[in-house]
Order: sequence, then C-alpha cells, then structure tokens
Amino acid sequence: MIVIIDYGLGNLGSIKNMLRKIGYSSEVSSDPKIIEQASKIILPGVGAFDTGMSKLNSLGLVSLLNKKVIDEKTPVLGICLGAQLMCKNSEEGDLSGLGWFDAEVLAFKGRFGNGKELPVPNMGWLDIMVEKDNILIENLALNPRFYFVHSYFIYSNQKEDILLSSKYSFKYTSALQKENIYGVQFHPEKSHKYGFQLLKNFAAI
Amino acid sequence: MYIKPDFIDPLVVNHPLTHKLHKHPYQICTRTVMDTSDPLIEFDENGVCNHVKKYEYWNNHQRIKGKDAEHYLEQITERIRKEGKGKDYDCIMGLSGGVDSSYMCYFVTRVLGLRALVVHVDTGWNSELAVNNIQNVVQKLSLDLHTLVIDWEEMRDLQLAYFKSSIANLDVPQDHCFIASLYQEAAKYNIKYIMNGGNMATESILPPAWGYDASDATNLLSIHKAFGTKKLKSFPTVSLFKYLFFYPFVKKMKVIRPLEYIEYNKNQVKQFLMNELDWRDYGGKHYESKFTKFFQAHYLPTKFGYDKRKAHLSSLIVSNQLSRNEAIEELKKPLYDLTELEEDRIYFAKKLNISLEEYYKIMSKPPIEYSVFASQVATKETLRKFFKTFNKFRKL
Amino acid sequence: MRHRIIPVLLLKNNGLFKGKHFQDHKYVGDPINAVKIFNDKEVDELVFLDINASREQKEPNYSMLYDIASECFMPLAYGGGVSSIEMIKEILRVGIEKVVLNTHAVRNPKFVQEAVKYFGTSTIVASIDVKKSFFGTYNVYINSGTEKTNLHPIQWAVELEKLGVGEIIINSIDKDGTLSGYDGNLIESVVKAIKIPVIAAGGGSGLIDFVKVCKNHKAAAAAAGAHFVFQGKHNAVLITYPSQSEIENEFGSFIDS
Repeated sequence: MIVIIDYGLGNLGSIKNMLRKIGYSSEVSSDPKIIEQASKIILPGVGAFDTGMSKLNSLGLVSLLNKKVIDEKTPVLGICLGAQLMCKNSEEGDLSGLGWFDAEVLAFKGRFGNGKELPVPNMGWLDIMVEKDNILIENLALNPRFYFVHSYFIYSNQKEDILLSSKYSFKYTSALQKENIYGVQFHPEKSHKYGFQLLKNFAAI
Repeated sequence: MYIKPDFIDPLVVNHPLTHKLHKHPYQICTRTVMDTSDPLIEFDENGVCNHVKKYEYWNNHQRIKGKDAEHYLEQITERIRKEGKGKDYDCIMGLSGGVDSSYMCYFVTRVLGLRALVVHVDTGWNSELAVNNIQNVVQKLSLDLHTLVIDWEEMRDLQLAYFKSSIANLDVPQDHCFIASLYQEAAKYNIKYIMNGGNMATESILPPAWGYDASDATNLLSIHKAFGTKKLKSFPTVSLFKYLFFYPFVKKMKVIRPLEYIEYNKNQVKQFLMNELDWRDYGGKHYESKFTKFFQAHYLPTKFGYDKRKAHLSSLIVSNQLSRNEAIEELKKPLYDLTELEEDRIYFAKKLNISLEEYYKIMSKPPIEYSVFASQVATKETLRKFFKTFNKFRKL
Repeated sequence: MRHRIIPVLLLKNNGLFKGKHFQDHKYVGDPINAVKIFNDKEVDELVFLDINASREQKEPNYSMLYDIASECFMPLAYGGGVSSIEMIKEILRVGIEKVVLNTHAVRNPKFVQEAVKYFGTSTIVASIDVKKSFFGTYNVYINSGTEKTNLHPIQWAVELEKLGVGEIIINSIDKDGTLSGYDGNLIESVVKAIKIPVIAAGGGSGLIDFVKVCKNHKAAAAAAGAHFVFQGKHNAVLITYPSQSEIENEFGSFIDS
C-alpha cells in the first residue's frame, strides 16, 4: 500500500487521484500504524521549511520515517517541500531537515547574477535535463516538462545524487535519487501526462 | 432450429436475470454474432438469424445500387441545390466527431458540393477526442459550425431520471435532443433537407429489445415525470405530431441518407478521415460521448446482458466488411479495462451528482421495460391502422 | 522560461459562460466536462472566475469546486468574491492551488497582506480589471466591471506587489470577448513597473497574440477566454487548445530563460 503522508501540507487529493487513475490505490495518513505497513511512501508538501519540519516532529513521525526509509529501505518519493525536507537544512528556516540527502536548500533571491534576475517564486513549467538514468524517469514522453512553484532550490553536495536539472536563469537540481530515496522539486500531480508517467514508474518499483 | 453454439458468451449465460431477459437455450447465429441475448431472435434450419434475413431482403430487393444509386444521388443533390437557391444553406447535418458524421461533412460538402449548416449538439459529455475531431473536420473543410449547448442542469436531471428508471435505452435523452435540435434548427433557417449519416452498410442490425425508439417524446417526458426533479424548460423535444406530420408535411422537411447510396466501408472511411482530416479513432462505436461509452460498455451489459458490440459487428459481417471469426475475437476482448471502468464510473456518478453508494443502489435495481411508462406505441399503431384503411379506401 | 497559455473560464450559477466587455454572457455548458477536456488537452493552467460571487456575496460552491479540482492534473486557480481567510482555506482544501483576489483586494488591502502571510506568495494572485475612459485614461474597475475606482492599474499593481501577491492578471474590459488582440501598451506598462509575473488577459485570439504579448510586451503568461471556447465566425461553443508542438513552433527560440 502506498501511503501519502498527511502532515497538513500539500495537495494530497491530486496525488491520490493520479495514483488511482493509473490503477494504484493509496492511503492518505498520519497514523504511525498505517505508515508502518506502507510498501511505499510519498512525502508531499507546500509551504515553509520550518512549518513542515515542526509538523513532522509534532506528529512524532520523524523516527518512524527514518526507520522505514533508512533501515527498511522503503521506497520514498518527496515532492516539492517534501523533497526539501529530505535535505540537511534550508536557508528558509532554522530547523534541521531529515538529512537523507547530503544537500542544502538555498534561496533563489540574490543568486541570479546582475541583469539576470527572474521573478520569485519560480512558478511555471520547466523542462528537465537528465543527469543519470533511473527507473523513475523511464518512458517519459518527448520533451518532458513539469510544473514548479518554489522560492528555494536544492543544492546537492553529492553530484552522483543529482537525477534531474532544470534551468531558471541558472541550472539547478530539480530531482535527487539515492538508492530507495527520491526527491522531486516539481509537482508530478500537477504535471499531467509527465506526472502520470513518473508516478507510474515510482509505483512500479 | 437449435444448432450448438461455437461460442458461448458468459455475459449472457451467467447473467443473474438471463431467464427473464434472454431467449433459451443459448444460441448464436452461424453467420453473424447475434445471439439469444436478443429475446426476439429467430434462427432458420441453418442457424442463421432473422437479422441476416432482414438485411439480405433489403440488399437484394430494396437497395439501390451501382448506376441507379449514382443517378439517385445526382438527382437528389440537384433538387436540394435548386431548392436551396436564395437561402443561406442547402441542407443541415449534425456533427458529433464520430466516423459517420465526420465523413458526412466531407461527402456532403465536397463530393455532393452542397452548402451545409453543420450543427454540433453539446450534451455535456464530449470527450476530448470528439471535440478535437470536430475542430479538425470543421477547420480542414472550412465549414461554419453551430453548436447547441443543452442546459446541463436539465440534461443531468433527465439522464439521472433515466438511470433511476432502469430501462434499457439510457441514451434516449442524448439521442432525442439530437433529433429535436436538428429539426428546430432546420425550421429556424428554413432548411428542407436533413442529411443523416445512417447507413445499412455498418448499422443495419439493432434489436428493438435492446432499446426503445429515442424519438418518442411521450416516453421521455413520462420517465422524467416519474424520476426527475427539475422542470425541463429549454430541453428540446419533438412531439409525435411534429415528427410525423408538421415537419414532413407542413415544413416539407425530408431526411436524406446519402451514405446509403455509396460503397461505405468503415475501415476505408476511417483511414481516409485519419489521413485527410487528422481525425482520431476512439475505440468503440459512439464512444466519442463519455456517457454513451459507459452506457454501452457497462450499464447495458451489466444490467441486461446486452452487448451492443454484437449488433455493430454483425452489421459489418453481413455487409462483408468483417469476418465472423474476427468478430468473435473482438467479442472475446473485455468491454472495459478495469482501471478505466473505475475512473469512468466515478466520473459518471460525479456528473450525475450522486454518491457512489447511490450509484450502486440504482445499478442493482432490476431492469424495467420501457412500456411501463406512457409511450406513443398505441397512438402510432392506431395511426398505422388508420392509414392502412385510408389507403385501401383511396385505391377503391 | 516557458510562457504559460491559460484558459480563463467564467462561472455563473454552476454553469460556464462567456461574454463580451463583461456583458451578454452566452451559455457554454457544464464546467466539469470542460475541465476534463482541458485536462486531456494538457493545458498549462486553468483559471475559474465566478462572475456573480462578489455581487451576490455568496460562498463558493465548494462541492462543485471539489468536483472540478479532482478532474485537474495541472495548476488551478479560483476567484470570485474571495473575501476571507476561512474561504481561502476551504478553497485550497478542495484541491485548488491558487486564489484570485480582485474586488476585495481593493476594498480591503490589509486582507491581501494577511492572506499572503498565511498562505504564501505563490498562492495569492491578484486580478485587475481595467477600462479606458472617454479621455483615454485607464481606470481599475471592481465588482465584475460594474464599479469604477479611482485607481490607476499601474499604481494599483505596484501596491499589490508591495502587499506580497505572487502574480497579477491584467484584464482589459474594452478588449474582453472581442478576439481583437491584447492591449499591449497596458500590459507592457504594468510589466515595466513591477517584478512579479504579469498574466495578460482580454482580447487574446490565438497563438500569434499570445506570442506577441509575451515576446513584445514581456508578459509572463497569456490568458484567454473566448478563444478557447468559441469556434468560427458563428462563435459556436467548442473547446480548443493548441498542441504542444504548435505552441513550441510559434514561440520558437523564445522559450529559453
């Protein structure tokens, strides 16, 4: 059973609907008993870094997630804020992240370079560049693009973890992968046919 | 005469109400794939069913073919053009995005060279494919499109009433308003000729038991009275009077079926449409409407054990466009992919504004005969008898 | 950066409508099926605006919004009489990404500030309806174009940017429903004054207009209503949307950021 973690943030309905359309049932839950049984986990999220981490902390889910993901190697997909929470820390907040990836979350503002500023948040469709092959991105239609909405981006210290890059004035990491852990900065549940394929690939792992 | 079937459809023999709805023992036609799920089917000593006989009679005794057909088309086209002089349009026709209506757009305007008012009746169930096909047909043929959008709240109320009534022909609301709308538009623009894409080549076979006539407004309104909740203020209907008398005799409207006079091969036509008009195929017949797809591929088979594919495929067999073996292979394919069925069911319930619980409750209600509700059958029978006598009198 | 092409659909009493200059609205049909078709056409984003809500001060039909949102696998924005934090919460809860503020932003700018603080910049979109006066000056109108304000669109856009909204839709009432192209000068003047994305609306009639308003007038996205729901010279109701390859061809090399 795919479990979509409900910690109060993110468009959970769309993810569930998308999974259902490709033939996979899923459960939206914050109940440790249910998460314990998950064969796969999706960590969604929209909003501020500290809000997300403190919600996970107050629900007492951090150690359970560590156990499922790090010890039991349960496949996990982080989406947008969910992917950022998998990093070590973020310029957006003070709390520590889950630290599953050796990566930080940095602000777009101030990093564009003179004359190359773009509006923040980055809100819209961007192409993706494949940095390494992986089952998550197999069979994507030609010229895949995904919907992004974020003011902070992921910077990975481990080059081999970088799965996808995108360009918003400059090139940055739009997806990470390490063993069973996946993080995507964009919203597959809002990226219609490309999102369908990506979720299908994840569900089939 | 009973001949052991070489193919047994589990949909029919395993149906919980097969003893009530179908004929027994199970038998399938040796020429086509029509079987005893048509309770009125008859087989001859070779196991050939009455539908084949009906087609053969038409094909051998009534059909206008070859040079005669060409001549007829030329004559009727000339007449239509003549009567259309001084008017905006020579004729009217409906466009749904399906094979026949899409081909008709090409045939009537390019081959026959007539000026047609092309009307699309939007009942709220268009698939993206249908809409895309309509756009391509209209743009590539440079046609002027008119769309009649049926008030969705009223349509939903009527379709829900039909669903609750548990009768066989759930598609009457859509079909009836197509007919009524076309007549209304024709009257509005003073158009005398309604071009209809119906044809014996691909749709000669349809058992009356599988669905009552959609032109009967009395039946429609009576079903709505029983289960509907909203008043039908703008929903187009056509009364028996208008249908049998006013439109044909006062407005002098005629329905012409040009496809009846050409060699109409489904596969060839589809190929042509795909190559020339960027037309896309959508699987089953009439599946351009999401309602019709669910109705034909799920409601009808589940509630009644009727699989309309048999009628469509059998029509192609008798006109030599498909072999019986190919048809049987088609029938072996499931009507619905399970994931798609679940999605379409959710959409069906969502559109009709009922919960899934309510949906299942209604689906489990036993099937009902249309005749339980008031209809025009008796009136039409009386009229038929009257005119039979009247004509006898005239000949004296 | 890809420029988004966004259909704007107008809701009234649970049905879709489209008018000209915010009047004479023609019935377009069932919103749920329309959304399903747009979703299958893989549009970039959809905006739904309830054109009666502000005037009738009604709550949105959340159940219908839920039905609509559940058919959408792309970003969805909703506007129309949005006037409280509670309302925005509920709208987001049913699965909509962004809310569009118009009348109530003008009536109570503090509300905009509150909403941005609570929900984040990327969730709050402001929409500005603009009409030219007899003398050629621009004025902001509210309440579905029925009430004139003393605000100038540029001044108001700058103010809204300060209040923290994520994007601004500039809609020309004069051009609305005319399919005669955008008011490029209006759009460009607003784009020049602010840093946040500007979505052009009012008069867009096809890919050529979309490219022009993004390429020449620097709009971040092009929105349109009539173009996507009417077909041909009789304005027959039919939903259309350009294919990805058509969009890419028309925009050409401009897609790079």
